[in-house]
Amino acid sequence: MNANRNKRKTLMKDFFDDIRLSRRSFLKASTAAGAAVALGAGLDPELKMLAAASGTGADEMGQWLPATCQGCTSWCAQQVYVIDGRAIKIRGNPNSKVSVGAGCPRPHLAIQQVYDPDRIKTPMRRTNPKKGRLEDPQFVPISWDDALNTIADKIMALRANDETHKYMLMRGRYTYLRDILYDRMTKIIGSPNSISHSAICAEAEKFGPYFTEGLWDYRQYDVENARYILIWGADPLAANRQVSYYSKVWGTVIDRAQIAVVEPRLSATGAKADVWLPIAPGHDGALAAAIAHVILTEKLWHRDFVGDFTDGNNRFVLGQQVSEADFEEKHTHGLVKWWNLELKDKTPEWAASKTSLPADQIRQVALDYGRAAPHAISWVGGGPVMQVRGAYASMICHALNGLVGAVDNVGGTLAPNKVHTQDFPGPDAFMDDIANKGKKHEKIDQRGRLAFPALNKGQSGGGVVTNNVADALLDDDPYDIKVAIAYMNNFAFSCGQPERWERALSKIPFSVHITTNASEFSWFCDILLPNTHHLFEKYGYIKSQGNGYQHVSIMQPIIKRVGDYKTDESEFPWLLAEKLAERGFDNLLRHYKTYKDPETGKEPTNSDEFSLYALKYATHKLWDPALYEEGDKFSGWEAFAKVGVSNSAPYPFRKRWGKMKTKTGKFEFYSETLKEALEQHAAKHNATVEQVMEACFYEARGEMAFVPHYEAPYTAGDPQKFPLLFVDHKSRLNREGRSANCPWYYDFKDLDPGDVAGEDVAKINPLDGTKFGIQTGDRVRLTSPTGTIECTAKLWEGVRPGTVAKCYGQGHWAYGRLASKVFGKVPRGGNNNDLIPAVYERLSGSTVRHAGTRVKIEKI
Amino acid sequence: MPRYAMVIDLQRCVGCGACSIACRSENNVPDGIYWSNKITETSGTFPNVRYHYIPTLCNHCDNAPCVRGCPTRAMHKLDNGITMHDPDKCIGCKYCEFNCPYGVIYFNWRNAHPYWRDETVLIEGCTYSPADMTRKAGGKILPNYNPERDETLAGIRPKGVVEKCTFCDHRIEKGLLPACVEACPADARIFGDISDPSSEVRILLGKFRPFRLREQLGTDPHVFYIRDFNPAHYQPTKGGV
Repeated sequence: MNANRNKRKTLMKDFFDDIRLSRRSFLKASTAAGAAVALGAGLDPELKMLAAASGTGADEMGQWLPATCQGCTSWCAQQVYVIDGRAIKIRGNPNSKVSVGAGCPRPHLAIQQVYDPDRIKTPMRRTNPKKGRLEDPQFVPISWDDALNTIADKIMALRANDETHKYMLMRGRYTYLRDILYDRMTKIIGSPNSISHSAICAEAEKFGPYFTEGLWDYRQYDVENARYILIWGADPLAANRQVSYYSKVWGTVIDRAQIAVVEPRLSATGAKADVWLPIAPGHDGALAAAIAHVILTEKLWHRDFVGDFTDGNNRFVLGQQVSEADFEEKHTHGLVKWWNLELKDKTPEWAASKTSLPADQIRQVALDYGRAAPHAISWVGGGPVMQVRGAYASMICHALNGLVGAVDNVGGTLAPNKVHTQDFPGPDAFMDDIANKGKKHEKIDQRGRLAFPALNKGQSGGGVVTNNVADALLDDDPYDIKVAIAYMNNFAFSCGQPERWERALSKIPFSVHITTNASEFSWFCDILLPNTHHLFEKYGYIKSQGNGYQHVSIMQPIIKRVGDYKTDESEFPWLLAEKLAERGFDNLLRHYKTYKDPETGKEPTNSDEFSLYALKYATHKLWDPALYEEGDKFSGWEAFAKVGVSNSAPYPFRKRWGKMKTKTGKFEFYSETLKEALEQHAAKHNATVEQVMEACFYEARGEMAFVPHYEAPYTAGDPQKFPLLFVDHKSRLNREGRSANCPWYYDFKDLDPGDVAGEDVAKINPLDGTKFGIQTGDRVRLTSPTGTIECTAKLWEGVRPGTVAKCYGQGHWAYGRLASKVFGKVPRGGNNNDLIPAVYERLSGSTVRHAGTRVKIEKI
Repeated sequence: MPRYAMVIDLQRCVGCGACSIACRSENNVPDGIYWSNKITETSGTFPNVRYHYIPTLCNHCDNAPCVRGCPTRAMHKLDNGITMHDPDKCIGCKYCEFNCPYGVIYFNWRNAHPYWRDETVLIEGCTYSPADMTRKAGGKILPNYNPERDETLAGIRPKGVVEKCTFCDHRIEKGLLPACVEACPADARIFGDISDPSSEVRILLGKFRPFRLREQLGTDPHVFYIRDFNPAHYQPTKGGV
């Protein structure tokens, strides 16, 4: 074994020389191209899809059944190979135009999730009344009936006491059946507190697109037609979004486009890029400002989109104010204001002093990017924006798309295509006086307060402030919560400063966790309910965009359930509704009975029928030929269920030019939309916009609050005491932090550039290794102002000196035997969130992940 | 008779490793054993750094040192060029493992999949043991055991013998591509009959100048690499003195 290992090591060492030295052409035979006959050629489209759907080759023992992967939010259409009700393996569903038959490493790991021995197989009840990190809950198995009766009693008690607002529903990973549980049930019980996880994901990423082009959403990128792709803190070949599609086409994309990646550590995408810009964390806005400055001074903006000076002479000259009257804009608004307020002095030399990148490199990137207009994508990921001052970075990085006319354009940045799913019936008729009264209370997360604008779609308090719920609970502000139900979330692991969640959850008198594994969150709950696994065991559907399409991909139960699992978003609420009806409150059950089977008109009579009818109801227009609108066409439900995915019509390029959902209908460099939103929020609190800026830790004053601009990062920790900046990143194996109990996760952890199989490593530059006396393989302790973790050191050239980069995903102290070192007690590796303080990008409500803290590193 | 070969297009490869994990599923490969593997290297010094990734697997050499050195002919060549192993004939001498210059042959020192043989339960009454999960799921040693692997080779190889990539011979027999090829999201693996002038592998090998691992050893590997993992643009320069 050792011999083999040594041999492999030697092989690695001499291999790269080998490539250079030993290339020999070996085959000179001429070849003739063979014309491949496509599968099902000549069939109509649905028959072709069905042919690809069944996909079972001769002599195969099993069947390929359609499924959807939610390992990340790419949400790819997949197929599972099933033999006798058992999942064997996974591949891409060739019928999706979004995930294009591709996958990534994640779906394969799902097999080890669904058959994870540490999945809870039965409802469980806590027998230790004391709650705390050091208290073993002493769970015992109970029946579903027992569990549901207890939960129903607790909800009825709230209703009896007019305290329904003290019920809270927390949502983690969801399908679009979510509204059954998240929205309708919460409202009909009578609570305002449906709390989603969205703000710990990437809401700040949506801020820039919304306040420039009226799009509160993630974007898709037309990479195959792009000539320059400038990527900010996103890693599309490894993590989020459409990893499958981008992986599929990247080999072609890099032939056609120059690719620059802005990120302090060398990412999977950076590894294949033309330019790696290892920026000093938090200064992305400065780089974007300099790029915009160069584009304007060099007259590289896209005139068909932006317009031009009335006389054609470029007055964008370093340091000079421009008169608005001299520039005639086409589909944009406020370019000259933006120049005068922010850009006129922002030279590459200035940006170099902020970003620590060479000025000539910044200028070159700006020129190359600008010359590629309009096929020049500025791709805004979580890196620059999930920061305390990330909202304006989100705006300024995204605004580059406006300058070069890439918005809504070929080779540019696109919105989701329209798909024709439908909402469930409304809850209003089923909300009684108690419910209507309860719902009027302030939401538990304090959204909409002066310091939490959370301007989702421009509305003050329109978005969630997920991580603040812990503090709200600890302070009983606005009130206490008595009954909480949570599903597919793990806020005691996945939120910054999770120790607050441990204390907050311990305070809730009665809480329920619907989960696959007994996680850190579960540790503080009273009842655990075993959930189905989305890829194999439940009904659901998702919508996801990419490749110029949006698909609707469905989930169905396709394997035998090993444990007594039930589906969070459909079976559980139905069963609970039955229990509530038994107790004289049948509003919820009566509401759910309105989700009738569109084929037969029958109302559901049990949880299985309800789950299926709900899915058929929501997707009715996609599969019923009588209701056909556009995109893929099916002959009926059965055909759709067999194919598993429906694609939208192709992307209508440039249709939104001049008709954007902003206040002016244009792409706003001076955001009238943001101005209105901030002024409304300020007025709500009898405050000024400046006071809002101050409360949200922004530097902008006056008109600066309405234009995309650079702000210096706001980072916790004294540089003397904490000399390194912490860089959090995602793993290509992370199934949203849920794959750490899979054996393959550890065997393949080195698929993340710089990481090591079987280890959880903190990566530092060798220069810092020397400085701090640390070598590869050393056990180290990382300490930030809010927490401490232990892990292994790795010296790596792919990390910016002065930073420590660490992949999120490990550091579980619960979840399973592999995820933790000692279940319930000792973490395996370190959880990045222990280091990251609970601070916010407050304008969007987002949790901070990047440039949030400094750390120190010590050898143990 | 076809002669099977694989072309790996490094430019298309994104280094994701889906090939290697899919291989685990398809072939019931134990933890710690990599029929499909990789060589990675980080070259340069900050900030001029790149990470490189080369997928590896059994090269199915024409002149295979593992076959030549096997005293029992357990390691043998099939007519279609696949280097195949017969665990029934294997005496576990590991000559093949030592002779292979690529480090792609692994010896089973223990009963495979010890994790899944474990009978311990994490939360009594509330979770399964790994072995129980397999039984309940209806698998064999592994809950996701693929019985199709057993058609041409022991579905799970016994302790005391070696194992390695077979180009998914059991799939090829049915006209299916190897699992790693099917699983590659980037279409970086191209498989086919190198003796057929119109096959995709032959077309690519005619179009690009391929290289093979340690070609100088004369093993005549049948896994070919084309293009570069990172074909970056750069500003032209003559350097300087």
